[in-house]
Amino acid sequence: MSEDYPPDHPPDGFLRIDFDRGGEPTFNSHVGNLYVKKGAKGTRDEFVMGLRVQRHMCNPAGGLHGGMMMTMADLVGSMGGTTLIGLRKFVPTVNMTFDFVAPAKVGDWVEGRCEVVRATRSLLFSNIYLTVGEEKILRASGIYKIPSGEGQAFGRARLDRNASERSAEVAAKGPPA
Amino acid sequence: MSIPPGFRELTEAIGFAAANGPWFEKIEDGRLIRGFRPGLQHANSHGIVHGGMLASFIDSAMGSTVFHVLQRRCVTVRLSLDYLMPGRVGDWLQAEAEVIGHDEHMAQVRARLYGPRHDALVGHGSFALLSRKRPPRS
Repeated sequence: MSEDYPPDHPPDGFLRIDFDRGGEPTFNSHVGNLYVKKGAKGTRDEFVMGLRVQRHMCNPAGGLHGGMMMTMADLVGSMGGTTLIGLRKFVPTVNMTFDFVAPAKVGDWVEGRCEVVRATRSLLFSNIYLTVGEEKILRASGIYKIPSGEGQAFGRARLDRNASERSAEVAAKGPPA
Repeated sequence: MSIPPGFRELTEAIGFAAANGPWFEKIEDGRLIRGFRPGLQHANSHGIVHGGMLASFIDSAMGSTVFHVLQRRCVTVRLSLDYLMPGRVGDWLQAEAEVIGHDEHMAQVRARLYGPRHDALVGHGSFALLSRKRPPRS
């Protein structure tokens, strides 16, 4: 659906997450493009998720829909949290608590970062913030189940490096006429 | 897609709600009930309904219940959700909410989202009530 909307122009370093790799679109692709940037280990930017607010992510008032914020925060806490602790497993959500502290509007670039509060053998506790620039728009806390044994695989998601090269070419040439 | 009797489609939805619908609603014994039948586009790669989709749906049912009960538009301030069991693609899922307290500015709401076999999600939220003169938002 994203082809009906203006290009996202993600900031440098962000790669689109290819959740389905050619398969039927699942919710993570259906809601719109999500990007990830991975920075140096132990820094604030070790895992950053990003999205460009598009109209199909908005509520009737023209602000980023709470459902989209919750979807992104859930993914930041699970994908980001497992990345930070070096776990390649799918972690089902047990609890999420969200505080909606500010709106975001069409065109805003939203970033999501998480902090692992604690990981036990069976549970992962994380704090999540979504921000636009310096402003926090959502505070969330997440609890995820860490499956025993091998658990389910992490899913098919991969960073789409080719798309990033393509968008870099597009950016170099300017937007299509 | 089969829809249980009494539900009407929320055709007025736009943006995120429209992109992730169709969603349905009915009023039964004065209570508002929301329903939808998840497809693959609502699921994750494991074939269960995405937590973000369930969160969006229950939040919307809670906000609509506030309007139904109090005749006030509202915005979500805080939402806490416990995920009990997965929602399955193809099942008819419903959400019901209850205003458990309110004053002039805030309403406290609890809700459950359930399928044919079990509860999938329970939630508790705080909603800020908008001034009666302000234009509708959701």
